Amino acid sequence: MSTILKIFVFPAAMLVMCLGVLTILGGHITPGGGFQGGAMIAAGFIFCLIVYGLKESPFDLSHDFLSAIESIGALGYVFLGLAGLLFSGFYLYNLGVDIYHIVPTSIQTIFNYSDPTNAGILPYLNFVVGLKVMVGLSAIVYAFLAFREYGEEAVDEPIEEIE
Amino acid sequence: MIVYIGPLVLGFILGFILGTRIRINSESGLEFGASIYLIFLIIAFIVAYLLGPFPYYKDIPLANGFIAAAIGIIMGKLLFGRAKNPQKVED
Repeated sequence: MSTILKIFVFPAAMLVMCLGVLTILGGHITPGGGFQGGAMIAAGFIFCLIVYGLKESPFDLSHDFLSAIESIGALGYVFLGLAGLLFSGFYLYNLGVDIYHIVPTSIQTIFNYSDPTNAGILPYLNFVVGLKVMVGLSAIVYAFLAFREYGEEAVDEPIEEIE
Repeated sequence: MIVYIGPLVLGFILGFILGTRIRINSESGLEFGASIYLIFLIIAFIVAYLLGPFPYYKDIPLANGFIAAAIGIIMGKLLFGRAKNPQKVED
């Protein structure tokens, strides 16, 4: 890729990621949400992977990172849903932070998303969905690039003759 | 004045996670110094001002989640984003 692209793309990718974060955060109140914001963050990763390549990309997406974030996202979603099931009888019930008036005020204050619309658990659902979509889409492109690179390496290697 | 801390905290956490992944490969020849991050922060403030706050979140005339994510990226880079040394595979 050209030098101009190599200078421009890294800060631009960070700005795209910030816009994705903003889309996730406003999911309960504006168009957007976890999937859309996660896809925008993944677009930032993919932008860098395409321009800099797999080995020189400034964003180092290791397998451990991808699996950890994917697991956190999936488990967070399941546990938020189970909390609704446990306290109201309905999976993913938007129970807010004051569960049956048994949660102390100090803990409510920590988890309350200070919001005039009383969004309850929706911002947290958007957050975990965003994490999951972000690493899911990034992992797909990462795997495609890796398969292509390893495939080319395999073609370049001389085939040993079988004696 | 009410300050809504929800977007600030969650935006910072997401940005921090992204910032920890910035690891420049030392053999790549790419160099992103402090000037890149300074320019990024200035542009982030301009973009956040032009985006404006969410509806009902008009505590400051900026997209505060955007600013929190930008600061989170830089903090994550400063704390955990070290240079990556490629592993040498020994035969």
